[in-house]
Amino acid sequence: MTQRTTSLFRRASAILLLAGCAAAHADDAAPANEVRVGAYFVQYSTKAHDLSGPFTPDGINLRVGNVTTTYLTYVRRLDDNWGLELAGGIPPTAKTYGKGPATVGSVPFNGQEVATAKWFAPSLLLDYKFLDASSPLRPYVGIGFNYTRFYKLDSTPAGDAANGGPTRVRLSSSIGPAGTVGASWQITREFNVIAAFSLARVDSNYRSDTSGAIRTTSVRFNPRTEIVALGYSF
Amino acid sequence: MRSTIATGTAALLAAGLTACGGGSPGATINNSTTAGTLIESPPLRVASLNAADLTSQLTATSQGQQLVALAGTPTCGVDFHYFHYQTVGGKGESTTASGAIMAPTGGTGCSGARPILVYTHGTAVTKGYNIANITDSTNEAWQESAMIGAFFAAHGYIVVASNYAGYDSSPLPYHPYLNADQQSQDVINALKAARTALSDGLPSGDTDNGKLFITGYSQGGHVAMATHRAMEAAGMTVTAAAPMSGPYAMLAFGDAAIAYSSPGLGGTIYYPMIVNSYQQSYGNVYQATTDVFSSTYATGIDTLIPGQYTYTTLVTSGKLPQFAVFDVNTPGTGTEPSSGSPELDAILAQPSAASNPIGNLGFGDPYLFTNSLRIAYAEDALATPDGFIPSPTTLLPPTTTPALGIRADLQKNDLRGWTPKAPVMLCGGMNDPEVFYTINTLAMQALWAPQISAGLVNVVDVDPSTDGDPTKAGQLPTLVGTIAAGVYASEPTAGAAKISADVQTAVLSNAAFSGFFSAPGVPNSPQGVMALEVASVAAQATALYLGQGVTDPATLAADVGNGLVANYHFPLTQTACETAAQAYFAHF
Repeated sequence: MTQRTTSLFRRASAILLLAGCAAAHADDAAPANEVRVGAYFVQYSTKAHDLSGPFTPDGINLRVGNVTTTYLTYVRRLDDNWGLELAGGIPPTAKTYGKGPATVGSVPFNGQEVATAKWFAPSLLLDYKFLDASSPLRPYVGIGFNYTRFYKLDSTPAGDAANGGPTRVRLSSSIGPAGTVGASWQITREFNVIAAFSLARVDSNYRSDTSGAIRTTSVRFNPRTEIVALGYSF
Repeated sequence: MRSTIATGTAALLAAGLTACGGGSPGATINNSTTAGTLIESPPLRVASLNAADLTSQLTATSQGQQLVALAGTPTCGVDFHYFHYQTVGGKGESTTASGAIMAPTGGTGCSGARPILVYTHGTAVTKGYNIANITDSTNEAWQESAMIGAFFAAHGYIVVASNYAGYDSSPLPYHPYLNADQQSQDVINALKAARTALSDGLPSGDTDNGKLFITGYSQGGHVAMATHRAMEAAGMTVTAAAPMSGPYAMLAFGDAAIAYSSPGLGGTIYYPMIVNSYQQSYGNVYQATTDVFSSTYATGIDTLIPGQYTYTTLVTSGKLPQFAVFDVNTPGTGTEPSSGSPELDAILAQPSAASNPIGNLGFGDPYLFTNSLRIAYAEDALATPDGFIPSPTTLLPPTTTPALGIRADLQKNDLRGWTPKAPVMLCGGMNDPEVFYTINTLAMQALWAPQISAGLVNVVDVDPSTDGDPTKAGQLPTLVGTIAAGVYASEPTAGAAKISADVQTAVLSNAAFSGFFSAPGVPNSPQGVMALEVASVAAQATALYLGQGVTDPATLAADVGNGLVANYHFPLTQTACETAAQAYFAHF
């Protein structure tokens, strides 16, 4: 974890401890809690070093396909401008595709779906809403950190073929900075709609094991997320 | 044994792997330490090439095109697998080793029940030798891997090739080089593990059809014959075998080199590997390395090969001499004291370049082996003479065990004295400067005369200049060098490229070689194949030396002749012998 990330983490934790007090002051102005449900459009801009390991030619790389999933978020209002957002979603199944030569040997590779994985990736963000609390349209920004844990990694038959046999894969968990910009439109006292764009930095170490042949690389996923959601305050 | 001085005759194979994989079950790991256990099943598939891609990648280079022309266009694809297995070391200790399974893929003749061909590789100096690593052209095994894949796996054989204990990932800290019992058991263990992989199921779906062929070159020729002997002794089925250019008559070979002053080319690599192997396995060669090695090289030589260094590095960095196996100051010459016996001094003397050019080259300073070793060795050779060296008597090793440790070890690993039940083709080149055909193959040929008469054993001398006639030995370098010089003398200003091409044409059309072709450039026999390669090397050498400024025809003749000698054992003879083995096995 970088020093900067650690600092952000500490700040966010401190704010969490203060959130109860702040909410007590906010009770009179507006509901303190908000849940959001919507759609999460995740685009990856994957950057990875070529895989290294035995029997691995140059130029072998990976690409992760975009996913859409359900967006679920809880926001704790701290005051008229500040809020604490725990953003997440139903863990999607991300598909990993081969990137590099068309074939490795005679085995198709580039563009082949070689693996699938699920990830659990909540972000904790400190949001700041601009304009007055009575304003129906309120832009906001948020900053915090993202935690990503990969699980249910499965090699596809194409992946096994390219790897040379049944393969186990590990992707290390990641903690990195996250940020969001968006706007909310208050429809009623309880309901609003939001549109937002989020970025996170997700760095992971890849390690595969095919019959003892260990291949590794480091991957930066750089998910860019577009969100459209309906919020309910209570 | 296999020369590390080579022009190359293999081809470019690329392949690869990777991607993401997942929580699906990986290979099953078998933790048994029983020899012959396959450690991971299924083994890693290093590369998978269909016939078209294999052909395309083989023919991407001129050397590869030549290989395909000789081996035939691949009719099958090949899955290259890398496997690990349990085996034993030279002292019977448990260890592991690795190897390759090359499984043919495709339609009829390439899948289903297929014959297994066990291939045993030649001398390698780098511990990282891995015949399964077809993806890495910098690996010392790559040419051999491509060659065997092209000649056999691409034509329907399931090739099983061990890297041998002590190489690649094997934790054994030494290699039991030319240890007949260990190496044959090691290969049998690899075969057992490969058969487990086949029965467990490989992606190719190939299965064992029960036919088993064994072949190997140089060191692998010895291993192939030892494996054949061990398998028949164990009651295992062998369909046919083709040992090639192997040092079968180990004691005779050693006596000729050490006692009778006839070291071979490459002896500075091969001989220390033998000494180290037998010292590790039997512990009776020396108390300290300085007992046998000169002080210049004694430190660290016991762990030098196989190791991290290539042949070129070993020589250029001064870790080993290039040629000087023995001290140029032999006993009783110069300031070197006599052995005390005029007879010994005489046989230990450096031969003249005219009478024995290869032997002559093996003497120099700094040198590898001490005169004290040579004296002790020669005394033992006179006391317990071999039946083939210095002159053929019984043709066999002595019936009593030599007193000197290294001679006793050579006798133990000498393959003379057994008779095969399955058909055998012995292949080699009469002028081999490294593993002497005139000792090793001719000794076996003489001993197996009844089997040759019965048609059980064939002997093939691929050298077109001798074609099995020992009386013509030694003429090839001069013959071809003279042809090259003649062409150059006839058109000295024509330019290196034209002279080189004309040399190639002149060699092929020479009466000594032209009878081995059914049409221009189309060989009708292994001798024709070697003639093609001889012409190619002569042309390349001509261009090289003219490019380096040689202007004297006599110098050019000598240089071209030396070029042939340097490339004779590998790749010239091996390539021709592989074509012979391929044709031979097709009969079964």
